[in-house]
Amino acid sequence: MLLRFTGRWAWLTALFVSAAGAQSIPERLAQCAACHGAEGVSAISGTPSLAGQPELFMENQLVLIREGVREVAPAMAAALNGVKDADIRALARHFAALKPPPPAGKPDAGTARRARELSRKAHCGSCHLPDFSGRDQIPRLAGQREEYLLEAMRAYRDNRRSGGDTIMAASLYGIADADLQVLARFLARLP
Amino acid sequence: MKRTLLAAALLVAMTAYAQPKPPPAWHQGKPPALADSKLAPLPGRMTETPASEIPINKLKLPKGFAVEIWATGMPGGRAMARGDKGKIYLGTRGIGRVYEVTDDGTRRSVRVVVDKLVQPAGVAMHGGSLYVMAINKVLRFDGIEGDPGVAPVDLTDKFDLPPEQHHNWKYIAFGPDGKLYVPFGAPCNICEPPKEYAQIRRYNADGSGKEVIATGVRNTQGFTWHPKTGELWFTDHGRDWMGDKGPEDELNRMTKAGLNFGYPYCHAKGVLDADFKRADGCEGVTLPVSTLGPHAAAMGVIFYTGSMFPKEYQNTMFIARKGSWNRTVKFGFDVVNVRPSKEGKKASVKPFLTGFLEDAKAGKFWGRPAYLLQMPDGALLVSDEQMGAIYRISYVGKK
Ligand code: HEC
Ligand code: HEC
Repeated sequence: MLLRFTGRWAWLTALFVSAAGAQSIPERLAQCAACHGAEGVSAISGTPSLAGQPELFMENQLVLIREGVREVAPAMAAALNGVKDADIRALARHFAALKPPPPAGKPDAGTARRARELSRKAHCGSCHLPDFSGRDQIPRLAGQREEYLLEAMRAYRDNRRSGGDTIMAASLYGIADADLQVLARFLARLP
Repeated sequence: MKRTLLAAALLVAMTAYAQPKPPPAWHQGKPPALADSKLAPLPGRMTETPASEIPINKLKLPKGFAVEIWATGMPGGRAMARGDKGKIYLGTRGIGRVYEVTDDGTRRSVRVVVDKLVQPAGVAMHGGSLYVMAINKVLRFDGIEGDPGVAPVDLTDKFDLPPEQHHNWKYIAFGPDGKLYVPFGAPCNICEPPKEYAQIRRYNADGSGKEVIATGVRNTQGFTWHPKTGELWFTDHGRDWMGDKGPEDELNRMTKAGLNFGYPYCHAKGVLDADFKRADGCEGVTLPVSTLGPHAAAMGVIFYTGSMFPKEYQNTMFIARKGSWNRTVKFGFDVVNVRPSKEGKKASVKPFLTGFLEDAKAGKFWGRPAYLLQMPDGALLVSDEQMGAIYRISYVGKK
């Protein structure tokens, strides 16, 4: 009985996946919205906002996730199963055109001072741009969810971000957790 | 002050040797004048670019030469290795795949041989086997041209690969001695490299017999052997953040094993480093045959030995320059023809394939030529890492 169920589930999953392969862009976007928010502004802890991210950044990350090079939550990876390059480009274009997320309040003066000092030393703005709006393959950090930023930075620093950019990872080597917290608090509060 | 800090940092690094901290790859060596710079590595593409989106008509060549799109659909494809049966294998970096291109005489088809690897840039064919080298893995696919589904043999443990990732994606090739040549780049922009890095090694094909044959090599992404002398010639990338003028990339010649090529103290034709200062920094250093331009990102290099091109190209070199990012006015984005002098002590460098760079000041470019392969008929294949495509250059003029 159990075996039969397993078999049936496998069959159902196969059906779902093949259907996933044939979804239209609006159907896919509805799926993305369940986690990333209707307007690309996430309300879920650990799930990043996508609104206003550079198109190429998302395109590249979506390919890396689909290929299994960047490892993420299985449900996120499953949403990209078998999605063709052309559809990936369309998804990236959609989220890039949305209005960036609003900042999570204003940073206090101490946080802002320390964050700017850290960022100047590590030249974060040379790549992410001084207002942290991102460009091309480099993500927007301004207004991103704080806990997501913190975990992302920890993962780079500790060599856990699979498929991550090696210069990006090297920018965070040796920066203590307390300073990463300051950076995340600051960046989440930038417009 | 800065120097004291540097010395202190070095001391800390040395005393903490048991648990070495990864050296910061990025911010070391960026002078205050560049602190407000907005230069960043150039963005690559990871999705397929159809032939219709490749502006091949913008490319220029000397009179008598023609270029066509030969294969597309290989995002990130760079180094190429050709098997005896004519299949071509391409390595990639970020996207983690190795491609196989099959030519049926009129059109090319592409499949993915292996994926999910960490920057599998190195590909080489030897005795009918495909060797793939990622940053942390070495795989061998025996008889792959006739057996597409062959399971790889994992040789990783034999090769003693160090853990740092930065600049440790690889170009690999078998030499005339049947050995596999593998570079281990400096894991930083500029630093005193730990002892496993900034060098070229060679191994027996099975990974045994490891030998360090050159040191002071920052990041070589291309080498080949002279068709007559059998000497190894290699390109090497100059460091970043010392300004628009350089230090320039290098074309080096290895006359024997054991030479030191200067990094981190001595760059290009004797430029002392701005951060790792030593008055005698260039002493005992083998200087390049030629420089190849500031931040040019000189990649693949071949000696042309085919019969298709006019005679003047015989045994001259072609070098692909992927193009600069660490420069306010962009440079490179071309293939140059390099002609070494008789004694091999200097060389002339002339543009050959140009047109990828549309506006150097605005940083506008569309393609990045990375590697070269001479075909049996003497045509020259050029891989474009940006477009995920291969172009074919042939000579159609009168000889
Ligand atoms: C089940 C919830 C879920 C679904 C459905 C989902 N995602 Fe995600 N997505 C996540 C999570 C969680 C992450 C962060 C993963 C990590 O870093 O580990 C993420 C990361 C991403 C990223 C990387 C963003 C960054 O800043 O690095 C992109 C781009 C993305 N998702 C796009 C999409 C698209 C497009 C869809 C719809 C096809 C989608 N996601 C569907 C949960 C989801
Ligand atoms: C050399 C250019 C460069 C520098 C310098 C740099 N970054 Fe990045 N950063 C990138 C790129 C490129 C990515 C995305 C790349 C990837 O891993 O594929 C990224 C990703 C990130 C992410 C993940 C965002 C997301 O949505 O997933 C965070 C957070 C981040 N950077 C913070 C920083 C901070 C803080 C600094 C300074 C300490 C910094 N970066 C310096 C290039 C850079």
